[in-house]
Amino acid sequence: MGLSLKDIHKVYEGNSKLAGLDMEVEDGTFLSIIAPTGTGKTTLMRIIAGIEAPTSGQIVVDGQDVTGVHVRDRNVAMVYQQFVNYPSLNVFENIASPLRVSKQKYSKKEITERVERVAEQLRITEFLQRLPQELSGGQQQRVSIARAIVKDARIILLDEPLGNLDYKLREDLRLELKNLAAERNAIFIYATPEPIDALTMANHAAILHDGQITQYGPVREVYRKPNHIKSGEYFSDPPMNFLPCRIENGQAVVTPELKVPLSAMKADVSAGDYVLGIRPHHLYIRIGRESQLDEKISLTAELVLAEIVGSDTTMHLSHDALELTALSRDLQDRSLDEELTVYFDPEQFHIFAADSGELVSSAAAVRR
Amino acid sequence: MAKIELIDVAHEYQIGSGDYAVKDINITWNDGVSSALLGPSGCGKTTLLKIISGLLRPSEGTVLLDGEDVTGLSPQERNVAQVFQFPVVYETLSVFDNLAFPLRNRGANKQEVRERVHEIAEMLDLQDLLKKGASSLGAAEKQRISLGRGIVRKDTTAVLFDEPLTVIDPHMKWHLRRKLKELHARLGLTMVYVTHDQHEALTFAEQVTVMDVGEALQTGSPRALHTRPAAPFVGYFIGSPGMNLFDATLQDDGVMVGDLKLSYPSETLQGLGGKKLQVGIRPEFIEVRSDPDDGAIKSTVEAVNLTGSSLILDLAGKGLDFKVRVMEDADVNEGDTLYATFPDERVILYADGRAVKSTLKEAA
Repeated sequence: MGLSLKDIHKVYEGNSKLAGLDMEVEDGTFLSIIAPTGTGKTTLMRIIAGIEAPTSGQIVVDGQDVTGVHVRDRNVAMVYQQFVNYPSLNVFENIASPLRVSKQKYSKKEITERVERVAEQLRITEFLQRLPQELSGGQQQRVSIARAIVKDARIILLDEPLGNLDYKLREDLRLELKNLAAERNAIFIYATPEPIDALTMANHAAILHDGQITQYGPVREVYRKPNHIKSGEYFSDPPMNFLPCRIENGQAVVTPELKVPLSAMKADVSAGDYVLGIRPHHLYIRIGRESQLDEKISLTAELVLAEIVGSDTTMHLSHDALELTALSRDLQDRSLDEELTVYFDPEQFHIFAADSGELVSSAAAVRR
Repeated sequence: MAKIELIDVAHEYQIGSGDYAVKDINITWNDGVSSALLGPSGCGKTTLLKIISGLLRPSEGTVLLDGEDVTGLSPQERNVAQVFQFPVVYETLSVFDNLAFPLRNRGANKQEVRERVHEIAEMLDLQDLLKKGASSLGAAEKQRISLGRGIVRKDTTAVLFDEPLTVIDPHMKWHLRRKLKELHARLGLTMVYVTHDQHEALTFAEQVTVMDVGEALQTGSPRALHTRPAAPFVGYFIGSPGMNLFDATLQDDGVMVGDLKLSYPSETLQGLGGKKLQVGIRPEFIEVRSDPDDGAIKSTVEAVNLTGSSLILDLAGKGLDFKVRVMEDADVNEGDTLYATFPDERVILYADGRAVKSTLKEAA
């Protein structure tokens, strides 16, 4: 049971958008597909929905090949970034519309019950008699989501549905979506460029890169052990730091100043060119409580910009051509252009091959 | 460059309706300040921005630019530049011509235009794109052109931004924010930035005004808004997750939240009878440890959520449900017992939606 995509290709005007994409999504999965804008997320969602046909490949739902099946005959619902509601229908009728056009007939009573139930779950009961344009953006998007889930579709596709909403509203809706999904026997697939969406809602994450799913797994595993440079890049905010280096004689030479022994990284890697990836919160501006840090694994860098948010400080630093981002869990009042020593936690380095971008070694433990 | 002041500004879109989009607004932006108006959709922040720019004449109150009353002046007469949510560029023109447009409009000569366009292009990293057609560029580049057009004229008094990063991808946002900060440092222009995104507001601005339902609830530094939110809404709206807020009731020499008694000096409690009381504390200010601690709240971990660099714990204890933020690598699991402490100086008492001064607390 579940969704499987087999060798999906999609070519637009000679350009390959999806190139041999394979993915198996099990029942009960809330999957987040993470990739920047323009990488084919929407194309993939439309193909799963049946709005678009793949150039080649196969889509199988619960063991049944649905590749050629029309969107109306698939048990799928989709929510877009731009909320789409029928402007002339009130909220009740908007939510009821998928039930009314469905091949499966619903009685009047059943329709009312279902609409009222999802309206309550999405906290829009009081607006049922209103027209969509009388609602705020957040409320309208709630209506779209209600419409998507009212039919108990087998697969619910969410294409960046929170993208146009307020920051705080997004926080609330993420929680609601997570709870809604938990109550349903459906596969939720949520496409987004924002790592926080995946971390807070999904139980699985997929990285879409170069027209393929390059990593798929439980969210925390994908987050803690990116298998490719692109996984680290797409699934990080603030962005993961990447330090090109040469590994020889048992150490990674980033600069003449910064040499990281392989033993400190708990890595056994042959000589060659690599890239070290490390998240901003594993860079330290002082050694205090983190006394396990080796003060030699450090670099002098110039502070380009310090951004304080709440009780955190994000520092943008530069060392020659190297740009670094460090996240410090305290308030750092520092002047720009100041020279700082940046310490690295060597056990948090992910070592990627310079040519292929693939993960070669990582000491990161995947817990929880 | 200019100092901007709004004095007793209020606006009804329908005069006499009593339905104010903004009201009781008194805010000063000193010359050269970087500032933000932060609030949810419909809070009146864009209305306020239009009042500053001159696109909207407020139904009440005065707008001063460098002490001069400009309430009735048009945007052109105010020399205020604006950058909108969606980049405004002439798609058929080159990047150079886009940037040159406002200068040529004012009759600048060829050499002036060339010099200034190159100067601005250099600030915004657009030098290599000057000959390109604007239509061939991505959203982030177009937004840099919009920004460049806004600041290209030397007589620009202030730059107003209305959600300028909305259409920009997360990774580009960092770069553009940095660019904006650099520009601000270099040009010293007064900048007002409207957004619903606390992260953008707090990282861009040295002065932030938090708005809700047409009112300016608090104007202050990002740090002040974080450590001492003047209203529960400010505490909730700033921070991810926002402040923990508990309903409180007066009792003898203190207030009760859940089964927790917080003692206050009697001066603090005077006059609070009959008011709606709330107590707030931020998730990052609550201290937790796994060993029993005197006076700490024995709590059960109900949920553990990873948000990237932190874990957010849902805790329950003493009849209270609250969130605590800890390091990402902390070893905490659902069902664990933790002992939570609310440090005195971090607890804020609110009465009828406003922070009560001198909330210093004696030992509970």
